[in-house]
Amino acid sequence: MSAFSDLVERLRAIVFRGREERELREELRFHVDMEAQQNARGGMDDGEARRRSFIALGGIERVKEDVRDARGTRLVEDVVADIVFTLRTLARSPGFAIVAILTLGLGIGGTTAVYSAVDAVLLQPLPYQQPGQLVRLYQSYVGRSDDRSFVTPVHFLDFRTRLSSFETAAAIYTYSESGADIGAGDGVRRIRLMPVSAGYFDVVRVHPALGHGFQSQDENGAPVVVLSHDLWGRQFHADGAVVGQVLVMNGKPYTVAGVMPQGFADPVAGSVDAWVPMDLGPGRDTKNATNHYLTVIARLRAGVTVAHAQAELDLLDLSLAKTYPDAVRARARLYPLKEDIVGSSSRALEIMLGAVALVLVLVCVNIANLLLVRGSERAREFSLRLALGAGRGRLVRQMLMESLTLALAGDIAGLVIARVAMSAIVALGSGSIPRLATLSLEPRLLAFSLAIASVSAIGFGLAPALRAGRTEPGDVLREQGRATTSGGAQMRLREWLVVSQVALAFVLLVGAGLLIASFQRLRQVDLGIQPEAALVFELNLPPVRYDSTARARFYEAFAKRVEGLGGVRAAGGVSKLPATGPYNEWNATALTGPLANTDRANPGAQQRVISGDYFRAAGIPVLEGRAFDSRDDPSAPKRLLVSKSLALQLFPGMSAIGQRLRAGPANGEIIGVVGDVALDAQGHAARYVYHAHTQFAGDRNWALVQVIRTNGSLNLLQAETRRLLAELDPQLVMYKPMALADAIGRGEAQRVFTLRILASFALVALALAALGLFGVLSYGVRLRAREFGIRMALGAEAGAIRRMVLRQGLAVTAIGIAIGLLGTFALARLMASVVFRVSPLEPVVLLGAVFFMAVVAGIAAYLPAHRATAADPRTVLQ
Amino acid sequence: MSDDRAELLQGTLEMLVLRTLALEPMHGWGIAQRIQQMSKDVFLIAQGSLYPALIRMKRRGWVRTSWRTTENNRRARYYELTAAGERQLAAERVIWSRSSTAVNWIMNARWTAGGSPA
Repeated sequence: MSAFSDLVERLRAIVFRGREERELREELRFHVDMEAQQNARGGMDDGEARRRSFIALGGIERVKEDVRDARGTRLVEDVVADIVFTLRTLARSPGFAIVAILTLGLGIGGTTAVYSAVDAVLLQPLPYQQPGQLVRLYQSYVGRSDDRSFVTPVHFLDFRTRLSSFETAAAIYTYSESGADIGAGDGVRRIRLMPVSAGYFDVVRVHPALGHGFQSQDENGAPVVVLSHDLWGRQFHADGAVVGQVLVMNGKPYTVAGVMPQGFADPVAGSVDAWVPMDLGPGRDTKNATNHYLTVIARLRAGVTVAHAQAELDLLDLSLAKTYPDAVRARARLYPLKEDIVGSSSRALEIMLGAVALVLVLVCVNIANLLLVRGSERAREFSLRLALGAGRGRLVRQMLMESLTLALAGDIAGLVIARVAMSAIVALGSGSIPRLATLSLEPRLLAFSLAIASVSAIGFGLAPALRAGRTEPGDVLREQGRATTSGGAQMRLREWLVVSQVALAFVLLVGAGLLIASFQRLRQVDLGIQPEAALVFELNLPPVRYDSTARARFYEAFAKRVEGLGGVRAAGGVSKLPATGPYNEWNATALTGPLANTDRANPGAQQRVISGDYFRAAGIPVLEGRAFDSRDDPSAPKRLLVSKSLALQLFPGMSAIGQRLRAGPANGEIIGVVGDVALDAQGHAARYVYHAHTQFAGDRNWALVQVIRTNGSLNLLQAETRRLLAELDPQLVMYKPMALADAIGRGEAQRVFTLRILASFALVALALAALGLFGVLSYGVRLRAREFGIRMALGAEAGAIRRMVLRQGLAVTAIGIAIGLLGTFALARLMASVVFRVSPLEPVVLLGAVFFMAVVAGIAAYLPAHRATAADPRTVLQ
Repeated sequence: MSDDRAELLQGTLEMLVLRTLALEPMHGWGIAQRIQQMSKDVFLIAQGSLYPALIRMKRRGWVRTSWRTTENNRRARYYELTAAGERQLAAERVIWSRSSTAVNWIMNARWTAGGSPA
């Protein structure tokens, strides 16, 4: 009963606070009047009677406060008042509020987004059952463990049947992207197709949700297909009775065997539209023991370690080496699948993580600085309020409220920035960073950074209030009134905070500078082609409708027709674009010349099959002899072109023209030597053998990438080419059209990704450091406004005072840069792995960073310095 | 003012207010006056502490308030005992008489040299 009435009373007091206050006023007025009347009756004059009555009550305001306390609503009322007061205070200094909130937001948002990316790619296990048992198998030359080559089908069959460590093993064809054209007429399009061996679904332990996977008797390239959940929805409208129906791919009917569950993606190749059984026939031909093209993944038996499996594999290798003496690159090595997948990205992500940590520290330092400055600015206000009787607890609570409000606003800004940054990261990195598409904000991390930022805001916000709560109000008031120079210890702490900010920002600047320099060097690498002004796209001719003769004829005719379009200088096709990685490395053996049939004459060489006027289209010079032309038809003897470096190696000191060469299954006469082209965007060298598609179309369906060089616009060319293609055969697909420069740059997307992230972090860091420096100097100037006024009144020159403030700022910057330099030396080894043809301590980069830092610091210091002398001494001194 | 006035004993203000209100509903100033009169001017209550005490008693449900007109035709807040307040007064009265008796025993006891009460 009593507790209930208590609650009702308190609620009423809160809800009807205005009325309660009015009534209290009236009640106390009544009391004073009555007391005064009584005093007057005792003979006092009116004034004295009233005065006495106030004294008897003990001060109206005191009583009111006591009554308010007694109402038991004090806390709620104060909190409401604090919130209102906080909002008013913050609105009075919007600059401070905005900077603090943005700083927190950048810290929380940037950190969370980037860390989530790292988490999705590096830290989360593969989304398959018992992912720790999954391994990938590579082959390499003996004693060259860094070499990671694909596996031959011959070895794969041996590994699959003869290793007891493997529960199952599967071969996947990820060597080059396989596609298939489906649909007809306007609906024709290309899907991603992946040939896999029968054990594939057992290895990943994900089986079709509908139907079944493949059997070993399908491993002859049987026309059955397993659909992705997506393709099932698009092509069959998610028909539950799809198993047994027919899907026409490349003009050939395939029977649907199953549908994979939603969200399933291949661990190596990512999103795939359909799986078909691989033809393992070549594995039974020992000639293919040197033909490396399979991606092999396996699941280890429960309890078997990678080391144990590797030991068994080493034993098997020894016996296989006797069986296939030609296989020089057959030493097998196992790697945990996860390490293999993320391996190449992990260093980039580690560096990003480091950058994130630096920025987070910077944010905390900046917040500390901001709040400490603000706290000391308000020391006077606090002292005044303490002197006027405000409770110390109340002051602390109010500062807490202010910090909480800031932290909360910062947290909200952080969430928004995190979302924006996430979509930016996905947009930047998708395609080059595996599994980035699965990215989502990591909730634990979000909580963590929200907590860190909030705690630092609240902690540093509270410190000044606690200090104000300890000091004697009088001291502060006296000191502040007279102070001419800033209070020593506090100022030094803030200067050290700025020093650390400058140092951290400097490290980030150097990192970004190194990546930018790397990127520039990368762009300057001579790839041996002219990447500008050329359009590329893949053009697949379905073998069902185009036999090899038709394919040969079509590619040549198409190139001729394209060259008839306005502005086109040359058109041709190639089985794999230069500078986009290795493909078809075959032994190349000189059959004539001084090195004929010796070991030294048997280097591996990249094989390329070309059509049309490929060399002119790609911008590769013909150095000697001639390129292929209409004379090199199937009836002519087999002819080959070689790159300059291969010619020099196989036929030293002589012309390669007219010499004979065996490359894989081909054996022909060299009719020309062309310029070297790079293997990848980093400019690694490679030797090349070129085959005429007209003579080599029967080997397989080469699905040539078309390269078209133009004088005009690529967009226009793309539209015209598409029209031309539809005219020739409306069912053909112009697959992934893009500029040649983009196509060869794609391999570097990961580097660009890291570069952009690190560069934006460096800019944020620079901005934070500049803000910190500006804040501390401005505060110093404000504190010393009186001193400067006196100096100027005594005749000091404005320039001298400006120089003094500037000097102070630059001294802090110089110390920060010196510490930052030490940091970059310490981090040099980490950076060495991501830079390209740049020393991690490249003087130009270091000098650039020093210069950049100094300029920004100079600006941040100049503004306060300018303000120091802008004010009229008379107003300052009044 | 005379010097023989005493400070109110700690914690007795509420009991005295309850006792005052047991006679009739009264406004704040009246309560103060009444306590002073009834104590034959020995107790001078700090008027400032009266109002917070009244609020606390109201929260506990011992009194209820209403605005009425005084004999001089002025509006004033009157405090009135509730049933809970009457129970509280009875309870405090018992406690008070017991403890005042005990205090009197102690104050009036004679002490021997041995240290035990006679």
